Amino acid sequence: MDAYLAAIAIVALIYILLALGLTLQYGLTGLINFGHVGFFAIGAYAAAILATHGAPLVLGFVAAAFFAGLAAWPIGLVSLRLRDDYFAIVTLGFSETVRLVITSEKWLTNGVQGIPAIPRLFSGLTVGIGAQLAVLAVLLAVTGAAVLAMRRIVRSPFGRIIEAIRDNEDGLRALGKEPARFKVQVLILGAGLAGLAGAFYAHYITYIVPDQFIPLVTFYVWMAIIIGGVGRISGAVVGTALLMILLEGSRFIRDVVPGISEVEMASIRLGVIGILLVLFTIYRPQGLMGDFSRK
Amino acid sequence: MLDRRTLLTGAAGAGLLLSAPAALRAQGGGSGPIRIGALNPITGSGSPYGSGMQKMIVAVAEAVNAAGGAAGRKIEIVAEDTQTNPQAAVLAAKKLIEANKVQAILGTFASGVSLAVIPLCNDAGIPLFHVSGAPALSTPPANAKGLGFRFQATNDRFGRAFAEICTREGFKRPATMAFNNASGIGNTEGFARAWKAKGGQVVESVVYEPNQATYRSELMKVLAAKPDVIVTGSYLADTTIILREWFQSGQNVRWIIPGWAANPELIKALGPDVTEGIISVESISNEGSGAFKLYEADYQKAMKQPGTANTYAAMTWDMMTVLALAIEAAGTAEMPAVVAKLREVANPPGTAVSSFAEGKAALKAGKINFEGASSALDFDQYGDVTPNFGASFVTGGKLVRRYVVEI
Repeated sequence: MDAYLAAIAIVALIYILLALGLTLQYGLTGLINFGHVGFFAIGAYAAAILATHGAPLVLGFVAAAFFAGLAAWPIGLVSLRLRDDYFAIVTLGFSETVRLVITSEKWLTNGVQGIPAIPRLFSGLTVGIGAQLAVLAVLLAVTGAAVLAMRRIVRSPFGRIIEAIRDNEDGLRALGKEPARFKVQVLILGAGLAGLAGAFYAHYITYIVPDQFIPLVTFYVWMAIIIGGVGRISGAVVGTALLMILLEGSRFIRDVVPGISEVEMASIRLGVIGILLVLFTIYRPQGLMGDFSRK
Repeated sequence: MLDRRTLLTGAAGAGLLLSAPAALRAQGGGSGPIRIGALNPITGSGSPYGSGMQKMIVAVAEAVNAAGGAAGRKIEIVAEDTQTNPQAAVLAAKKLIEANKVQAILGTFASGVSLAVIPLCNDAGIPLFHVSGAPALSTPPANAKGLGFRFQATNDRFGRAFAEICTREGFKRPATMAFNNASGIGNTEGFARAWKAKGGQVVESVVYEPNQATYRSELMKVLAAKPDVIVTGSYLADTTIILREWFQSGQNVRWIIPGWAANPELIKALGPDVTEGIISVESISNEGSGAFKLYEADYQKAMKQPGTANTYAAMTWDMMTVLALAIEAAGTAEMPAVVAKLREVANPPGTAVSSFAEGKAALKAGKINFEGASSALDFDQYGDVTPNFGASFVTGGKLVRRYVVEI
């Protein structure tokens, strides 16, 4: 049981890292990024390819964040000319392009066969829960560091400017600030976090294949931050945790309530999440941790 | 409105609800029922097969319990959904292994799912029975401990069967079209390898992306090479579109399509004119066998459909039966001992048996050889089986099996 809870916690933390990146981009800066999974995929593949070629694992994590951030750079330049829904379409296209490139470039990514046997972190520790707890501890530290860094950002002049970009870009320009540089930086930072999440994911699941990096992942992250509260760091954490409890906790309902088949359960699970999203947007559009001072 | 206090109360309540079953389960103990995990694709792309697969595991478990259980203990099934998605499957498998303490996991479907789940089984030292096609599942690192058992033909063997049928039908200029995933490409590449080994050549091969509204450009590229037959590694939805567009083109060519795509639903969707003469190839269930009759009855009862509608369900039926027999033969649910007995109860020599009850009785007299519903179920050194393949031709809107290919 402990190891199962640890597994859920690990996956939840990976998603929290993704949600933090999106909070930075959408919640704080107002960039509608529908292609988050693309950066996640780049991170996962960068770490997996390096690790399976015998590179030190630490290097894989650095490379994951680096390449994901690098990929965000051109997207950032695009964001200077496109706003809102137009930018959303471009990012969605970007993530699909990443998936197609991964699928097609067999020499590098092994195409649709995927990369099996990615080494686990701390595989030196004895089998059982030891290695898992170590992974959990590292992830907690990384996520904690990301949360702290983001709190610093929000309270810094940089944070005030990106929030101003979200609230009124033209107004900001009128005040003599150039939003371009900030937008690019925010995208690179958020993408770097997603890349890091991807590296953890690859080393945890140990097998990656392009099918895992579909837009649904992006929208899970969106659901999490909408439930938790857009623009709040705590919202990203709480929303993701709640989504994981709903998705995973529902497995146990069948152990206590007999007579529900797995087929029915799968439908109920999706239905509940859908209803929850609708209810949230009607009754609490600012999310669980939403800011009471705003609309 | 929900304030933070109500939320916290709610969260605490949810926490209690989650911890309750854990407390109940802790009382299970070693002499109680043997827990077996049924991990099947209930949702996602495997969903047409998943619930039938799961119900057959449950049905056999009931039959085993009715026959007095295996090694004197009842079997209890814990069912989960993989969502045909590796990440969801890993969490579900963790739950089965850690929270439910299952002794084996049966019935993973997609190759990606099996490849992601098998490291967990290796760690826990429990067997994984799957129906995936990827060749990588046979050998280390995936199957380093010999705990993976495949109840389906590998994609490579499918390809060899396609090549065999091509020779037999006298085709000279085959082309291939593959859905871009491990299984689709595995089929056509397996075919190309086997065909080239026979000295033939493939005139054109195209890999296409899933979920398109039209496949006209891919199709035109293949047809431009003037093949006499097109071999596909495809699924139902894309095959339907491709065949419709091919029929509109009017070019004369034959088709060899895997059985999971060229099935009665395809004929229903396109009508007998379009589908006439299509060759559907599938790993055939062991239809003459006693086990198949028993499976057929179970499937009919659970799903209200004939047993031939779901080849994978016959495989999961066999999984539970052969596992229960191995437990009975080992006299314990300790998995290392049970895995060691799997080949002994499934492979020749021995008294041929078709069900758990029959096998349990025959085990008292000596060695048995379980002849399964899905195949003769003889595991090779990699834990793979070699089913036979049936070549069915669409004739007047019906699939008619003409011959069986052995490879």
